[in-house]
Amino acid sequence: MESFFVWLEATPLSTWLRESPSLWAFPFVLILHTVGLAFFVGANVAWDVRVLGFSMGIPLDALRRYFLVMWAGFWINAVSGVLLLIAYPTKALTNPLFYAKLALIGLGIALALRIRRGVQDVRADSDAPRPARTLAAVSLGCWVAVIFAGRLLAYTCTRLTVDSTC
Amino acid sequence: MLDQILHAVEAYLRHTPQGEFLRTAKWGWPIFESLHFTGMSMLLGTVGVFDLRLLGFARRIPIAALHRLIPIGISGFVINLITGFCFLSATPDQYLFNRAFYWKVTFIVIAGLNVMVFYAGVFRRLLETPPDTPPPLAARMAGAVSLLAWIGVMSAGRLLTFFRP
Repeated sequence: MESFFVWLEATPLSTWLRESPSLWAFPFVLILHTVGLAFFVGANVAWDVRVLGFSMGIPLDALRRYFLVMWAGFWINAVSGVLLLIAYPTKALTNPLFYAKLALIGLGIALALRIRRGVQDVRADSDAPRPARTLAAVSLGCWVAVIFAGRLLAYTCTRLTVDSTC
Repeated sequence: MLDQILHAVEAYLRHTPQGEFLRTAKWGWPIFESLHFTGMSMLLGTVGVFDLRLLGFARRIPIAALHRLIPIGISGFVINLITGFCFLSATPDQYLFNRAFYWKVTFIVIAGLNVMVFYAGVFRRLLETPPDTPPPLAARMAGAVSLLAWIGVMSAGRLLTFFRP
């Protein structure tokens, strides 16, 4: 692992992302990761609150189109997240919280897909079945946990690069 | 003159209770940041989704029904006003003498003016249009301005760190 960090941090892409003074390097990747988060988690919020019973006039099968927004946000963040990882591999991969964050994202996506299957036959103006509503509440909590885990990464890392501490 | 005012505001905010609290509480800053991101997701998840509908995305959803999600977005915005004011109070010099902070405020003002124009204008007419019809130009404009303004707010917010005095 250690030699992998040494190699990755010496690659031109990693060095450029980390050290370039250009706003198009690290700052732009951070902006992408933030805007992606807003749409990724935001689309889940809209979906979950409808399943929980807010604004039941929204037909669930039409709201399903917002899964496109969710996946767009997901891919923006997958790509920008990999770039952040290339910039600071030691920082993320030596922090247990990083793996917790990835696991929580996996759980959040699994919940979203389960909820979607659970409300397939629900029309506008009617309640989602109880199991789907429970999952929607868990899902909201899960996304808040993802946000906390992600933000706390900056405060819980011990090593920044192979030869510097946080 | 302006500089003197800014320094007076800085000295005042620094010693407010919320400023002292956020500067000294051990996990205060990261927790408030996480809340700020949560509020942002609530805002974009409802207002952003509504904006996309104004642009013509998922036209089968009745506008009035989707509009009922807006109070969740307003709650998110209030969370962010409160947490944001606490950040400003804790380290006022980092914001008052930072270009990115004024970009962020400008984008928030643009979003706010857009909301006023939208409710004063096309909103009523929009509630009466049946689903599945293409939204009028004024509605599409409002949706586009809102989305771009909030993306501007988030981008400027992210740039704060890189323009610190």
